[in-house]
Amino acid sequence: MLEHPSARARPVRPAVPSAARARPWRGAFTGLWALLAAALLATPAAGHDVPGEMRVHAFLKPEGQRLHVLVRLPLALLLNLSLPKRGPGYIDLAHVEDGLSRAIAATDQDLEFFEDGRRLPLARGTARISPPSDRSFESYEKARALLAGPRLSEATDVFWNQGYFDASLEYEIRSPRSTLALDFHVSPGRGDRLKLDLRTLSADGVVRAYELPTGAGEVVLDPRWHQAAWSFVRSGFAHILDGPDHLLFLLCLVLPFRRIDWSLAGMITSFTVAHSVTLIAAAYGLVPSGAWFPALVETLIAVSILYTALENVVRPSPRGRWVVSGLFGLVHGFGFSFLLKSQLQFAGSHLLVSLLAFNVGIELGQLLALAVAMPVLLLLARSGSGRDRLVTVIVSLVVVHTAWHWLTERAEALKKEAWPIPDAASPGALARLGLLAVLVGGLVWLAVRHWRRRAGRALVPDGNTGPAAGEP
Amino acid sequence: MTKRTLLWGGAFAAAVLVVAASAPGWVGATTTHHGPRFRVDPDWPRPLPNKWLVGQVAGIAVDRHDTIWFVQRPSTLTTDERGASLTPPRSECCFPAPSVLRFDREGNLLQAWGGMADPGFLSNRCTPAMGCEWPVNEHGIFVDHDDNVWLAGNGGADNQVLKFSSDGTFLLQIGKAGVTGGSNATGGLTGGAPNGTPLLGRPADVEVDPTTNEAYIADGYGNKRILVVDAATGMYRRHWGAYGNVPSDAPPGPYVPGNPPAQQFRNPVHCVRIANDGLVYVCDRVNDRIQVFSKSGAFEKEFFVATNTLGNGSVWDLDTSPDKQQTYLYNPDGENNKVWILARASGTVLATFGRNGRNAAQFHWVHNLAVDSRGNIYTAEVDTGKRAQKFKPAGMDDD
Repeated sequence: MLEHPSARARPVRPAVPSAARARPWRGAFTGLWALLAAALLATPAAGHDVPGEMRVHAFLKPEGQRLHVLVRLPLALLLNLSLPKRGPGYIDLAHVEDGLSRAIAATDQDLEFFEDGRRLPLARGTARISPPSDRSFESYEKARALLAGPRLSEATDVFWNQGYFDASLEYEIRSPRSTLALDFHVSPGRGDRLKLDLRTLSADGVVRAYELPTGAGEVVLDPRWHQAAWSFVRSGFAHILDGPDHLLFLLCLVLPFRRIDWSLAGMITSFTVAHSVTLIAAAYGLVPSGAWFPALVETLIAVSILYTALENVVRPSPRGRWVVSGLFGLVHGFGFSFLLKSQLQFAGSHLLVSLLAFNVGIELGQLLALAVAMPVLLLLARSGSGRDRLVTVIVSLVVVHTAWHWLTERAEALKKEAWPIPDAASPGALARLGLLAVLVGGLVWLAVRHWRRRAGRALVPDGNTGPAAGEP
Repeated sequence: MTKRTLLWGGAFAAAVLVVAASAPGWVGATTTHHGPRFRVDPDWPRPLPNKWLVGQVAGIAVDRHDTIWFVQRPSTLTTDERGASLTPPRSECCFPAPSVLRFDREGNLLQAWGGMADPGFLSNRCTPAMGCEWPVNEHGIFVDHDDNVWLAGNGGADNQVLKFSSDGTFLLQIGKAGVTGGSNATGGLTGGAPNGTPLLGRPADVEVDPTTNEAYIADGYGNKRILVVDAATGMYRRHWGAYGNVPSDAPPGPYVPGNPPAQQFRNPVHCVRIANDGLVYVCDRVNDRIQVFSKSGAFEKEFFVATNTLGNGSVWDLDTSPDKQQTYLYNPDGENNKVWILARASGTVLATFGRNGRNAAQFHWVHNLAVDSRGNIYTAEVDTGKRAQKFKPAGMDDD
């Protein structure tokens, strides 16, 4: 007997094991254990403030076989050198020569330069004290003129922690086109909240600006393409593994999966495509510039984790996960881009290569995370005892707790940011983002549709899939 | 699949329409900006450590590093406010904070020193023997281009301005506590303070010109002038009164709205501010006016603000917006308890924010104001206000 085409066969669900039917209280205990675990194990992510920082300014210019480096340090950093003083605390400029020599030696120790991997010894150094109001380090030419010009008169009042130590350092190099690198590190006692603002003036006239924290290790200035690529692969790889929010989101995405199949591949692809698009868009400046935007993205990342974890608790299913991973992938891509922006200064002239390499690094990190998580999930699924469901719920509840705290903290920070007032340009900007989202969504949908077809889900003419309900 | 196609196609079409609609010419009439808007940051500054509490905040300044300094009066804390400092303590909190406090933009305390609440400061770091006489009633703070901190005082015998390094090391005093010479005192070894600097009359405010290293003093509650001295030595340079005239100490009588503008400043001459274009702005508080001069003291123009204001007057302090043209002039008004936003070029009032009250974004005797490089505004309140507030830019007030 044929059924009416409008009747739909219900999808066949696996029979509930009789043992489970006979112990309905098992579900209640599962929930209780999960709640207890969530309460005990999850800790709220705490925000922290970064206190004020000090800056070192430097210019670097290779000329012929000499590398000229001009450095400006706040005098407060030279506390341990005990420069001579007079009166209430002014630097005794008449007797500061020895102190300046010691400061040059200390600077050479903390700011190392390398040519093709070889440490460059200091060939010549001169220095002077400048008052806080001096602005010569706004440009290389002014800084050079200051250091070549007369020193301050000995009667000038420069308070010991309110002026600058300015130095001109010279190194011998083989060629102005050598690959140069530097390592900026600070001796103990000098302070640990330092940044170096460096501007390099290359032999062919290109000026690049860098902002380096201390302890960043050896940084290659103007790298070759493969150096930039490798550096950014490492950076992307480290970033995703260092980011608990991204890892937790990935974990929540894969938790419902019990086998490696096309739906898992589709979900990962969806996430990859989506975050790649927004990462690239952000790298090319196609995002809003206000402080509200990073705060909004961070909040939405917390929302993505919370949503996915809750879905795992309420309705864990791999079906349709690609939609969630795609949509939230867009947000995570913006999140990745915030670190990338600060790193692009080290890309030299290889911006696109560095950007793609960063993305590759992220994918490798993702794959590593999945390579750790998936075997565990597959083992649990194959154990057949129903523990995989318990683990899914417990882990998801722990994540819910953490994500909730992140969400409230980030939302609080978001509230404090001034939202942009829409102006004539805003509809266009919103439309561009909307268009981007539509295009990405379309691409993802097409890709997943293609994979599903390849997976061979046959459709019978009456709309039923598989054996019709009731068929013997 | 058809429904999905329709869905995506519809979204795409909508996106295209929005892009088209945003093209120039579709938007409509141009907008008119009245002035910037601000939103209070209720979490600024962060709670102080050591159970410290501030009293009247009588001066606020932003330095070249974009850190915020204020001077407050620990002596104005009531007994219950400083309950933890009593013997025996009457409550869990609080202790008076040092007079000079420095914060970052996020509201974290970076430094604190000075005054009666800084143990040992008045016995070791600022003593009369050193030539340092801490004011009885702290008033006004400025941090100059060399990171030196300038303080004034308007107590009954406070006739001095003090200069410290950023860590509170005493550097220079101008004037002498308890001694005043009138609005035309010029200093020197016979007619000035013991160190040759001019005698002052309860000065209210200081600003140092970074191009000439000259200190401009709003002198003040006792005198009726702007005094200019060398910022390194304190030696006299020049002075002027209202309209650039020789100041007179003859009593001017009470301010009456509608009368012709007074030819002299009334007390207090409450602030002095130098704009990037070299114009010097002076707060003639009780006369409800701002007078503008060149650096040499030549009168340029004047603006009037809320001229019906009596009491303590309407012009308490001034600062400018951080754009290159310094388009806006912000005037905190502790009598009407709002901040007036004026166009600096014309003196036209464009907008206001705040009102009398005790809630966040409201004011009680708003006394001073400072602006950082991002346009954030910091205000200081005296009397029973006893706080500083931060306001963040929140777009423009448009038609």
